[in-house]
Amino acid sequence: MPPVKIYQEDQIASPMMRVWQNFSANPFALAGLWTIAFLLLLTLFGPMIAPFPPEAQDPRALLLPPSWDPSGTVAHFLGTDDLGRDIFSRLLHDAHLTFGMALLIVITALVTGFIIGSLSGMMRGLKSSILGHLLDALLSIPSLLMAILVVAVMGPGLENVFWAVGIALTPQFVRSIHQSVHEELQKEYVTAARLDGANSLQIFWYVIMPNVWEVVIIQTTLAISAAILDIAALGFLSLGAQAPSPEWGAMVAQGIDNLLTAPWTVTIPGLAILFSVLAINLVGDGLRSALAPIRN
Amino acid sequence: MFRYLLRRLYLFLATSLVMVGVLFYTTGLFPVERSFALTGIHAPTANQLVQIEQDYKLNDNQAWQFFAYLQQRLSGNLGVSVTSNQSVAEELSAVLPASFELAIMAAIIAIGLGVPLGVLASQSQHKLTQNTIMAITLTGYSVPVFWLGLYLSLWFGVDLGWLPISGQLNLLYEIKPITGFMLIDILLSESEYSMSAFKDALLHIVLPATTLAVLPFTVVVRSTRSAMMNVMNQTFIRAAEARGMHTSTIILRHALPNALIPVLKHLGLMLGSFASYAIVVEMIFSWPGVGSWLVSGIYQRDYTVIQGGILAVALLIIFLSILIEVLHTVFNPLSRKDLYAAS
Repeated sequence: MPPVKIYQEDQIASPMMRVWQNFSANPFALAGLWTIAFLLLLTLFGPMIAPFPPEAQDPRALLLPPSWDPSGTVAHFLGTDDLGRDIFSRLLHDAHLTFGMALLIVITALVTGFIIGSLSGMMRGLKSSILGHLLDALLSIPSLLMAILVVAVMGPGLENVFWAVGIALTPQFVRSIHQSVHEELQKEYVTAARLDGANSLQIFWYVIMPNVWEVVIIQTTLAISAAILDIAALGFLSLGAQAPSPEWGAMVAQGIDNLLTAPWTVTIPGLAILFSVLAINLVGDGLRSALAPIRN
Repeated sequence: MFRYLLRRLYLFLATSLVMVGVLFYTTGLFPVERSFALTGIHAPTANQLVQIEQDYKLNDNQAWQFFAYLQQRLSGNLGVSVTSNQSVAEELSAVLPASFELAIMAAIIAIGLGVPLGVLASQSQHKLTQNTIMAITLTGYSVPVFWLGLYLSLWFGVDLGWLPISGQLNLLYEIKPITGFMLIDILLSESEYSMSAFKDALLHIVLPATTLAVLPFTVVVRSTRSAMMNVMNQTFIRAAEARGMHTSTIILRHALPNALIPVLKHLGLMLGSFASYAIVVEMIFSWPGVGSWLVSGIYQRDYTVIQGGILAVALLIIFLSILIEVLHTVFNPLSRKDLYAAS
């Protein structure tokens, strides 16, 4: 329903409002947003909803198929794995391992990347070059190789995934923020603000940043989906989360042994990863197209 | 242009130097004795120990040690693998071609299918076609590659039995390595079975290459589509239309070359994640490439293998991304505008 107009004057929507209108016009993006909100809730409250503890083994229900299968039971909604552990509970318990971990990593990388990127973007000449390109070297080491390096030093474990993926993601933030700050800095409206007597800090925060936030937002959504996939891949290679942990990638790896007899032990964690990444990408895509008319 | 190339060369050297520095620093952090981490010789004799100390200047300060490390690595001395007792450089040269073969096949699949589909998506007026293509690419972009690889091998390898799911070639065939690239080696070999071996090798590469191609394919489709839509709105396309040219000529000769420039840039940005995916794919399909070699290296805590593999892959990625940047500048005169500005 369009807003009812009582007064003569035109309401001009603020840029934020326009982005939201563009964004919510896209049903897929909204669906993605709802999924993410749901995932966030699960991250916070998942362990409370879960019917079983993640490591509880039920020797009478080994490799039970999901409940919609004739031989499955509702007690184990998504079936059990080869040790009789309830897959549904494990998925719920893990939401904060994969999803929450990804958020934590991305926020850390974002803050670090933002500081370095904006500093190097505002500077000129050699200093800017050194700061901006220093991390290019890290950018060239793929996240998995970085993880291998971290594991070689510290041994496998979930907290080392934090370092590995974080170190691999930070340079991307540095690079994109550096580039967009640098690009904006050369435009004429910045010169105008400088002629008005604004100092560097004011120029950075009030003049340039409003035009860079979009880049930051888009990069963040990209980074979250990359982080989830990386955490899962590391779990799968058993370089990240270790065996009893219900991390989604590690669950796929534990299910491989029974792939032929009990394919659901691999399918269900895989689908969980797929849907959460898909939701984030839908939101990212929606944001990008909602921001596009403003950016151009 | 010359100045630009020189600057890129400096950038390559500086980035590589930082990369080697990072490796050197982490080598010091490995939880083993330094001489072992550097050379991979488990229990060195007194003579070897003296030799190691001399080579890596272990008694000097960190800066000298770094230069010695750099010198050793650049002269091709990557140490010895502790599990196989063979030189890491030799092992590396044995596994690199297999990875290249896989990557090239995947790139051919991704670009060969992705560009036409992207053009199609940008040109079609049907909402349904557009949405389908976008939905497929978005799903392809989000799917975890290890899971996809498992399912493809389950369906096509086990259930349908069409394709082999592991390795590079059936063990029945014996092919002498000449170039290291299996497909080329088979063609070069004079065995009477070379044709059937070639077919077998092709069948072996289909599944891993397809799995690996999914990510670049989706990126190519999406960036081709958005670039084509950008280009088709420009005035020179309208001018070409006004001159009465055929649509296919306009697309192929006027629009596509311009649209491929941003695609190239996107591909360059993706190299790192492509390499990560390649490692996982090689693991799943037990492809004898750098990825599976490196991962087995980490399982066995083979520190020299880890260093050598990471050095090679990272140098390759630095080189390729700078090469793509240079190509981008060569093909796109517009980006040369701010070449000489401070960057």
